[in-house]
Amino acid sequence: MRQGGSSKSSFPLAPTRSFAGLLFVLAAIWYAASSQNNAASYLLLFALMSVFLVSIPRTLLNLGGLQATAESIKPAFAGQEVSLPVEVTNESRATRYGIALTLPDLGDAGEHIDEIPAGKAARTVLRFPAATRGEHQIGRLHLTSVYPLGFLQVLKQLPTPQRYVVYPKPAGDQRLPAETARSGQRSSRRELGEGDDFAGVRAYVRGESQRHIDWKAVARGQALMTKQFTAESDGMLYLDLAAVQLDDLEARLSQLALWVIEAERARRPYGLRLPAAEIPPSLGESHLHRCLHALALFQ
Amino acid sequence: MKTLRRQDTRIPRRPLLWLAAALLFTLPPMFGTLPSWVPLLFLIALTAKFWMQPKGYHLRSLFWKVVLVALILSLLFFSYGSLRGIEPGVSLIVMLTSVKILEAHTAREFHIMIMVAWVLCLCGFFLSQNLAIALCLLIAFTLLLVALIQFHRGSSSAFWPPVRTAGKLLAQAAPLIVLLFLFFPRFSTGFRFQIASQRGSSTGFSDHLSPGSVSSLTNSSEVAFRTEFPDGKIPTLGAMYWRGVVMWHCEGLEWNAPKNPAALPKTSQSSLRSEGVRQWITIEAHDARWMFALDWPANWPSGARLAPGDYLWSDQPIHKARRYEVTSYPEIPNNQLHSGEREPLLQLPAAISPAARALVQSWTAGKAEPRAIVEKALEFFRAQGFLYSPSPGEYGKNGLDEFLFHRRLGFCEHYAASFATLMRLAGVPARVVTGYLGGEYNEIGHFFLVRQADAHAWCEVWFPDRGWQRVDPTAVVAPDRVNLGFSSFLERRAAAGQLDNTQGVLARKLARWPIFARARLGWQTLSYAWDTRVLSFDGDEQESFFTAIGIAGRGPIFFIVGSLLVAIALLALYTGWTHLRTRACGDRIKRIYESFCRKAARLGAPRNPSEGPLDFSRRAMRLLPNDSERIRSIAEAYIALRYTPASDPMTLEQFAKAVSAFVRAS
Repeated sequence: MRQGGSSKSSFPLAPTRSFAGLLFVLAAIWYAASSQNNAASYLLLFALMSVFLVSIPRTLLNLGGLQATAESIKPAFAGQEVSLPVEVTNESRATRYGIALTLPDLGDAGEHIDEIPAGKAARTVLRFPAATRGEHQIGRLHLTSVYPLGFLQVLKQLPTPQRYVVYPKPAGDQRLPAETARSGQRSSRRELGEGDDFAGVRAYVRGESQRHIDWKAVARGQALMTKQFTAESDGMLYLDLAAVQLDDLEARLSQLALWVIEAERARRPYGLRLPAAEIPPSLGESHLHRCLHALALFQ
Repeated sequence: MKTLRRQDTRIPRRPLLWLAAALLFTLPPMFGTLPSWVPLLFLIALTAKFWMQPKGYHLRSLFWKVVLVALILSLLFFSYGSLRGIEPGVSLIVMLTSVKILEAHTAREFHIMIMVAWVLCLCGFFLSQNLAIALCLLIAFTLLLVALIQFHRGSSSAFWPPVRTAGKLLAQAAPLIVLLFLFFPRFSTGFRFQIASQRGSSTGFSDHLSPGSVSSLTNSSEVAFRTEFPDGKIPTLGAMYWRGVVMWHCEGLEWNAPKNPAALPKTSQSSLRSEGVRQWITIEAHDARWMFALDWPANWPSGARLAPGDYLWSDQPIHKARRYEVTSYPEIPNNQLHSGEREPLLQLPAAISPAARALVQSWTAGKAEPRAIVEKALEFFRAQGFLYSPSPGEYGKNGLDEFLFHRRLGFCEHYAASFATLMRLAGVPARVVTGYLGGEYNEIGHFFLVRQADAHAWCEVWFPDRGWQRVDPTAVVAPDRVNLGFSSFLERRAAAGQLDNTQGVLARKLARWPIFARARLGWQTLSYAWDTRVLSFDGDEQESFFTAIGIAGRGPIFFIVGSLLVAIALLALYTGWTHLRTRACGDRIKRIYESFCRKAARLGAPRNPSEGPLDFSRRAMRLLPNDSERIRSIAEAYIALRYTPASDPMTLEQFAKAVSAFVRAS
C-alpha cells in the first residue's frame, strides 16, 4: 500500500520550543552588543543569525523525496498495542537525517529514523495503544524533522486511509459453557476441523494453517493436502451473545472473546451467534479471527 | 539506517561530549579575568557530569540545588564585594551554568545548555576581545553547532559527518555574516551598563609615577597600541618617544599628573616650520583616558583634547580598542611659558635632603646656564657608577637619597624622576613624561607594535632660548635601551650572560628561528587586522562606510529590511539550487503516471493505493465515461512502458503528451 505525494496543507515549517530560546539568546546578544557597542558581540549575533538562516533551507528540504509506505496492520486486542510497520523510502539524491514519524490522530505514538541514505529505505514500526473495540482508521501519518539545528520543524502530512481492527478485550469470569449446545442435527456431531483423530485428507486451501499440510505427501510429489482431524468432543459449542448473563454489552463481548479463545485452545469446535449474524462452528486460526472480527465490529 | 525510539530521559553521550568540548573552549577568556576558582569549579562540574551521566545520576534534590546556588552567591559576594558589574555577572552565569550541567538530563535541558553556552561565548567577548579569544570562541561556536547536529542525527556514531555539516553551515553562513556585519544598523540602545574597571590596575600605566611603576610592566608582553605610518615617514627607533602623560607634581622619586587636565586651544599648524609625521594608532582598551602619539602631537582626533604639556587626553574612558589619526611634529607647538606657569614648574616636596641640595649647588655655582646644569647632571649619572636594571628592588621613604648616593641602581622611572627633581632644585623648570619608547616593526603588516614592556619615562626641561627640550637620562646610563628597544636590549644582555633566566633565554632563542619569527609576525598582523578591521567597525565607522558607498542617511529600518531581504533572496536561491540538486531523480514514467492519477482524482476517480494500473483504469473508465478512451490509452501506454523490456522511447514521449493533455481536454 503506497501513500505518496506532498501534503497540500499550510506552510510546512513551524518553530519548535527551542526557537523561543534562540530568540531570547539573540535578543540578549543584541542588547549586550548595542549597549556596549561591542563589535565582537555583534559578530557573534550575526553568526548565530546567519547560521540559523542558512539552516532553514536544510530543514525545509530535509523531507524532500521521502515516501512513506504503511504496511498491513495485524488486529490487536483492546488494551494491547497496535503495530504499524512503515517503510520510508528516500527517493532524493541526498541523505536525509533525523526523521520522526508520528500519528497525530492516535496520541503521542512516535518513532525516530536517524538516517536514510539517498535511494535507500528504512523500516520502522509505530506502536500505539488499541483503545477501543471496533474498526478504526489510521488517519494521518506525519513525517517531521528538525534537522540540523532543531529550531524549526518541517512537516509532511501523509493521509493514511488504512484501517485496523481492535478485538474486544478477552475478559470475564464466567466459565466456558460445559454443556455443548447442540445445533439441531445429530448427524454433524463429528465436526471436521482440528481435533485429535485423523479423519482423512482434502485439498489445501490457501490461507489455511500450514500445520496440517500433509508434508509427507508433498515429499512424494503430490499436491498440497490438508490432514483433517475430528475433535473428541461430542457436540458443538455455540457461543451466544444472548446467553451471556451480564448487563454491559462490552462486558458480554469481552466474555465471548475470552470464550472463543478458550474454546480454540481447548480445541472444541465453536460457533458464534450474534443477533445479526451467525458463524457456524469450526476450529482453526482463521475461524478464530473470523469470530473475533465479528465481535469487534458488533454494533 | 538504524531505527531507535527517541529516549527523552537521557542525553545521548556523543552530543554531550561535543557540548563539553564547546564549553571547554569558552573557558580561556575566563582564566585570567575571573577569580581562578570560577573556571575551576566549572571544569569540576563538567568532569563530574561525565562520571554521573553513564550511571544515570543527576542533581535531583531541590534542597541541594538551593544550597549550591546560595553557596555560589555568597562565594561571589565575598570575592567581589558586590554582584554588580561585568565580572561578577559573568562569574554568576558561569557558576549557574555549572549547576545546570549537574542537573541537566533531558533532551530539552540539552537545548537549554546549548543556549547557555552561547551566552557564555558572549560573556567571553565581554571579558576579552583579542584574536586568540575570538578564535577560541569561534571553535566553541562551531562545536555547539556540531553538538546540535549530532543530537538530531541520533545514534550514528560517525565522527566527521556532523563536523563536516557544521563546517558547511558556517561556510554558507559566512557571506551572510559579512553582509549583516557591514549593513545591519548598529543602534545604541542608550542603556549602558558600566563595565567595572579592573583593567587599569593590571596594565600598570598610570597617571602616577613611583619607583617600580614602570619596571613592573617589563614582563608584560601585552599590546599597548599599534601604529601605522600611512605616509611612510618612519622615525628611527631611538626617536620614537610615544607621549602618554605629562607629570607636573613632584614628590621626590614620585610624580603625579593632573587627574583631569584642561584642554589647550587649537594651534594653527602653519606656525610649525617642519613637516609632520602622520600616524594611525590603534590603542587597546585600558579603561582610562590617556592616548598616545609621537612627540609632539599638534592636531588631535575628535573625542580627545590636547592637555597642557601637549599630550592627548580622551574625553571618554577607552573601554574598547580605538583607532585614531594624529600628526606629530618634531618641535613642540605650544612652546611658551607664561610668568604664572613658571611657579608650579619649580614646585618641590618639602623634604629634600641637604645632600641633594649640596649636589645641585655644586652644579649651579657660578651662575651656570641651564644647558650647562643639564650637562653636569647627565655627567653625574654617567660617571658616578649608576646602573640600569629592570628590577632595581624596593626604594624606601628616603628613596631619592638612597638612589642618588647609595644604591645607584634604577630603571627609567628612577632616572627620570630624580633628574627632573634635581633640575627643579637647580631652578630649571622640568617635568616628567611617561609613555612608551620604540616598538617592534612588523614587516608583514607594516606596522609598529608597542607593548606594555616598552613603557618608558623621560624628562623635559625648559630652556629660555629654545623652550621645552626632551632630556632622557636613561639614554646616558643605558644607551642601548633607547637605541635598540627594550626587548633587543634584554636579548643583548642575555647573550652577555647578564640575565640568568635560562627559560627566558630558551624562549628567546626559539623565537629567533626564522619560521617562528615569521609565524609570530603573521599572527601579529592578523591580530592587528582583527582589531582594526573588525573590532573598530562600530556605528561611526559604519556611517562613514555608508557615506563612502553613497547610501548614507537612510534610517535603520531601510538597512534592517534591506539586509534581511538580500539574505532571504540568497537563501531562496540556495534553497532552489539545493532542491534541484537533490530532488528525486528516478523514474520519469512513474512520475508521469502519478500526475495522471492526481488528475484523475481531481475528476472524481481517485486511485486506491492497492489498485493496479489495469484495475484502476477499468474503474476510472466506468467513473469517467467521457474520457474512457484516453484513460485506456494512457493505461496501456503505462503498462507497456513499465512492463515491456526495452520499450520504445517514442512511446514515452507520447505517454507524457497524453497525460499532459488529459485534463485540458476533459
